[in-house]
Amino acid sequence: MRLFEQHLNREVTISTYPRNRAMRFSPKLAANLPALPCWLLLTCLAVAQDISPGKRLPSVTMSPAPTITITRGKPGTVDLHFRIDGGFHINSNTPTTEFLIPTTLKLTAPTDIVVGKVIYPPGEQMSFPFAPDEKLSVYTGVVILGVVVRPLATVAPGKYAFHGQLKYQACDKAACYPPRQLPVDFQINVAKGSVVRKRNPGQSPHVHR
Amino acid sequence: MKRDPVVIIIVALVVSAMLAVGVYKSRRSPGQTKTSETSMKGQLAPDFALQSLDGKTVHLSDFRGKAVLLNFWATWCQPCKIEMPWFAELQNHYASEGLQVVGIAMDDAGPQEIGKFAKDLGVNYVVLIGKEEVGDSYGGVPFLPTTFYIGRDGTVVDKVFGLKGRGEIESAIKKALSQGQAVQAKK
Repeated sequence: MRLFEQHLNREVTISTYPRNRAMRFSPKLAANLPALPCWLLLTCLAVAQDISPGKRLPSVTMSPAPTITITRGKPGTVDLHFRIDGGFHINSNTPTTEFLIPTTLKLTAPTDIVVGKVIYPPGEQMSFPFAPDEKLSVYTGVVILGVVVRPLATVAPGKYAFHGQLKYQACDKAACYPPRQLPVDFQINVAKGSVVRKRNPGQSPHVHR
Repeated sequence: MKRDPVVIIIVALVVSAMLAVGVYKSRRSPGQTKTSETSMKGQLAPDFALQSLDGKTVHLSDFRGKAVLLNFWATWCQPCKIEMPWFAELQNHYASEGLQVVGIAMDDAGPQEIGKFAKDLGVNYVVLIGKEEVGDSYGGVPFLPTTFYIGRDGTVVDKVFGLKGRGEIESAIKKALSQGQAVQAKK
């Protein structure tokens, strides 16, 4: 207890336990005690992240995408959120070497809705224990991919579903897992939009004079 | 209500212990990976017939009497790239004692691409084009690298998951070289 006391360098009075159950800690320490379980929980979670190969398989999941409304005839971007399990990484869309498999999203669109560019975030440049001198372009944690969609002006307003697959290849600190495909599904709501009257481009200011 | 710090500490310790047990059990839970709990040690390594990069059919049984380091790898596996040059060095060093390193590429890439990749890493040992069923016969290869050390008598001496240090690899090779020596001496 004395060591504990010295370590904390606080004014700590600990009466004999259990004769007097009152343990008086410094107010600051006492105030922080309720946070102790949280710290321990975080420590346990950190331990759980430290995986060895084969103990668990990598998991990439997609968060349900909220249905966004896009006016027909105009482009809109749908953000898709993917979560990569702790302890794993997947290659970015632009890996550093030719043999690494890039993360790609392939989508099929409903008729009369054009799927444009998929916006991939830049990868994190990370080095790993298996190649400490080499930087790899990877995604970890949560990755947000943007999908640009443009309903044609002729599309009937309403909800439209998109389906596709995210192809990724994951590794941990000592092993790599075969490429996998995650089903991707989301919806958009196509709105009619307000009618904007266009000026007659043929009329120049001269005409009005 | 006044909180007793001792109670808080005890609760925290109990919660931590429960979490630790949970984490341990989840790691041990069966069926997560085919291989993690499936030991083939002491069993006869399943024979196979696979194509080499130059199109020849190679059987594992062709190497009977030699210690075999059977390494499942792929071109997309960065950790595999680290140990392949070590395997090449160890193949040189222990060839006279009867070591044969065999790499099985579990890859969608073609033989030419695999060959180029292997050449760039200085691979001097047998490289075969893998098949899923061969991986399955070895208990499944859900991640790479996975390496089997097979004794001279054809039995699995060790099965290793993921990248290991060069020293560990060399120790396993020595163990494989010593396995089945008595059998050979009798012959």
